Amino acid sequence: MTTAFRSAERPAPPPRPRPGSNALARELRQRGRRRLLREDFLTMLAWASGAASVALYLADGGAAQFNNLTTATTSIGIIAGLIGTDLVLVMLLLAARIPLIDGTVGHDRAMEIHGKLGKPALYLILAHMVFLLIGYGLTDRLNPFAEGVSMWNSLPDMWIAFISTVLFILVVVTSLVAVRRRYPYEFWYVVHLLTYAAVLTALPHQFSEGQLFSPGQWQRWYWIVFYLVVLAALLRYRIWAPIALTFRHQLSVTRVVSAGDGAVSIELTGLRLEELTGAGGRFFIWRFLAPRLWWHHHPFSLSADPAAGRLRITVRNLGKGSAALMAVKPGTKVAVSGPYGLFGHAARTRPGLVLVGSGIGITPLRAILERAEFEPGEATVILRASTPETLYLRDEIAELCRQRGATMYELIGQRARHGNPWLPRHQTGLALSNYVPNLKASDVYVCGPKKWADAVLKDAKSAGLSDEQLHHERFDW
Amino acid sequence: MRARAAAAAALASFGILAIGWQAGAQSIEASKVTGVTNSATNGNAGTASSGSTTSSGSSASNTSAAGASSSGTGGSGTTGSGGTSGSSTSSSGSTSSGSQASTSSGLKNGSFTGTAEETRYGIVQVQVVVSGGKITDVQTPQLTGDDMRSDMINSEAAPILRSEVLQAQSANVDTVSGATYTSEGYVASLQAALNAAHA
Amino acid sequence: MPENQPANLNARTFLAMGTVVSLSAAFAPRPDAGDDGGDGARRLDAAVRVIEADFATLEDRFSLFREDSEASALARGVLRLANASAETRAVYTDAIEWRRRTHGAFTPERPDGVLDLSGIVKARAIAEAGRSLVALGLTDWCLNAGGDVLVAGTPSPSNATSGGDAARPWLAGVVDPEDRRTLLGAYPLAGAPGCVARRALATSGSAERGDHIWAVSGGAPEFMQVSVAAADIETADVLATAIVAGGREMLDLATAQWDVDVLAVTNDGGLLATPGFRAPHAA
Repeated sequence: MTTAFRSAERPAPPPRPRPGSNALARELRQRGRRRLLREDFLTMLAWASGAASVALYLADGGAAQFNNLTTATTSIGIIAGLIGTDLVLVMLLLAARIPLIDGTVGHDRAMEIHGKLGKPALYLILAHMVFLLIGYGLTDRLNPFAEGVSMWNSLPDMWIAFISTVLFILVVVTSLVAVRRRYPYEFWYVVHLLTYAAVLTALPHQFSEGQLFSPGQWQRWYWIVFYLVVLAALLRYRIWAPIALTFRHQLSVTRVVSAGDGAVSIELTGLRLEELTGAGGRFFIWRFLAPRLWWHHHPFSLSADPAAGRLRITVRNLGKGSAALMAVKPGTKVAVSGPYGLFGHAARTRPGLVLVGSGIGITPLRAILERAEFEPGEATVILRASTPETLYLRDEIAELCRQRGATMYELIGQRARHGNPWLPRHQTGLALSNYVPNLKASDVYVCGPKKWADAVLKDAKSAGLSDEQLHHERFDW
Repeated sequence: MRARAAAAAALASFGILAIGWQAGAQSIEASKVTGVTNSATNGNAGTASSGSTTSSGSSASNTSAAGASSSGTGGSGTTGSGGTSGSSTSSSGSTSSGSQASTSSGLKNGSFTGTAEETRYGIVQVQVVVSGGKITDVQTPQLTGDDMRSDMINSEAAPILRSEVLQAQSANVDTVSGATYTSEGYVASLQAALNAAHA
Repeated sequence: MPENQPANLNARTFLAMGTVVSLSAAFAPRPDAGDDGGDGARRLDAAVRVIEADFATLEDRFSLFREDSEASALARGVLRLANASAETRAVYTDAIEWRRRTHGAFTPERPDGVLDLSGIVKARAIAEAGRSLVALGLTDWCLNAGGDVLVAGTPSPSNATSGGDAARPWLAGVVDPEDRRTLLGAYPLAGAPGCVARRALATSGSAERGDHIWAVSGGAPEFMQVSVAAADIETADVLATAIVAGGREMLDLATAQWDVDVLAVTNDGGLLATPGFRAPHAA
């Protein structure tokens, strides 16, 4: 079944562009260009930091070490350690929820890159260990194992460094998709916290055994400053920011209401909530301070734009953690940090707006729609569900569309087997461009299960949209 | 990754690596011993091989000395020893100017200046002073190049003649250092020398 | 007062660590009358007793020639390094650090795997004795343990106090390895003007006690004898040993990375020297 708010089976003809939209278009394009410039700059910075870690060694005369096998082996080991450590520090920065990074590439992308760097970093650290054991072993005429034993026994900080390696292996292995699925999220989370222990235990030997970082070397200062920057970022944005935000807004639950099949809307109140205006669509990390709940944290998007004294999230029963939330009592205090992610107004680059959502992923779209800048007729909302019951917040969205002049489609039914897999079966043969006449001049926001969202994005790309126009939020936690 | 990001990342990375490489190359070069010594040979007027850059960094302020006086701090001069030592890798044939007074040994008295030779540590120009038919002084009046490099050279070990070592008679040393580990050997030779010094 | 009045210079020797240790000390003659040097001699005797104990303590622990020493127990495998005394482990750690810094040219292990810390222990003993002498209030002395020299002050303190010429440095002769009865040259310790005070001079050779140093390359050592002057005796001693073992490459590394003077005698009798070993230009 398909119902459309403004038109029936077939999409509407393209509306004529209005004169007033030009200024908005210009501003949005500029905003998009600036964001891309920032992104390219950050990309360059990340690569440059890797190059810099090698340059540290070269500047110390490292190139001369490659003329015989023993010192070349040692040098490769040292360089592997330098790049590996650089990657670990970059990973920590990516996970530090720094506003600059979050506002440029988004939390999702940042964490995706973070995840992609994990294995290379581990391999480099292992290569660091193996090559140095072989290299030093050649120097000392010992086999690598005997060299390892000798280093463990004799060098003061070396046994700690070996422990660090074991911790790194543990952290990466538990993060592999196959392994991670087998264990509860909480287990993975606790193991992942060991990263900090791994980084700390790796520290002493870098400064006490590494000639490159021995006192008096300028390289030592570069390394120390790099570590301090990472530490400062973590303290500022992972520890201080949540505490400050929690005390500033002092959120508590006012009521929990059903929002359709297996979902609830949790409404909260607090102080100074008008400061969060415009954060609709972006997500916060929530911690409900009730027995058995406080140690879970949940990334949920706002399902309504914040207004004075009122916040709302809409949650579906997906895992153990969210199941308990269904029963959260009014009056429960809530700790919060955020907003995070690019899934909001700041990411807009075009005057047109297309919101495509599926299942519980519909809810952040509602919050975006509420405050998005667009001229009447230039916004399209596409809601996708297999049954009408999971078309969460449908009535609210329909009302907003009516008020603001947006077109809304409800696409309900089984998945299509041919053609575009994100569309229901009875719409086979259609594509996103059929629903959105001004698609090329639009930003497309997609929120839903990963496979489905990928299909929508692919569709949009094949219609000729560039990356900067596409915004998506994974919603399968 | 977008093309612009890739280009910027590549450019920045290679730039940083190149800077590191360059800085490293300098420190490597500076840590290598020049391995060159001067060899002043008799019988070939006005020729001195240059390339010995073991002279002290402060010699930039040298003024050319004439006659037999040797105020140079360059110090790589062999005075009339006439022997060839070590390995001479680069020698610059040089022309001479100076007062021409033939002597029986075939060497003309005067001060002879070699051509300026570019070395990796800067420009070296050797001046030979011949007096009484013997080379009495070899100086490097011109040594340009940045001071840091010259200072580094200053600490390098380079081949020298035995006559160039600070000479010592057993009578004027206070103690003796040698690779002697056995008390017998020590007592036999070194303690004897030590005692002789203070007898 | 006659010019250059000789200071009272006394010397004592004793046996330790299989070699002869000799201590010379200079005492400024006291302006108040009648000092025949007896006071200096008494102070020197007291100092010798103290440093003899310093050497004995380290020898007890580290001598491979003593069956009951900790080093012997380690060498026989009776004692594991992890269970050794804190001091032994500290010396070992020190030695490993030197191995790292000399790129393996200096090593605390013999090729047969036996831990041999004697290379570094003698230097530690000399350094320890030097600290004792300072603590005893001696300002002008020269300590020589089997050819490794550590000095303080000057052999002519009278000149320094009377405000005449600058105090002359202790002058250490370096033995000619080809003719051990003659000296190759000399080095002014603690006195080289314009230089960081180099108070220590150590000499290592490949000829005598050939089992003591092995060339890293496995071939014949490039240098017959190497002398290193440094600010402290451990650096001097370790680098001298390392250069004999590591050859030209190690020599270049040492002069580039440490503030030292080096005089090396190559196998064919040639000399390599840093400027500190060169004679000042004859005036």
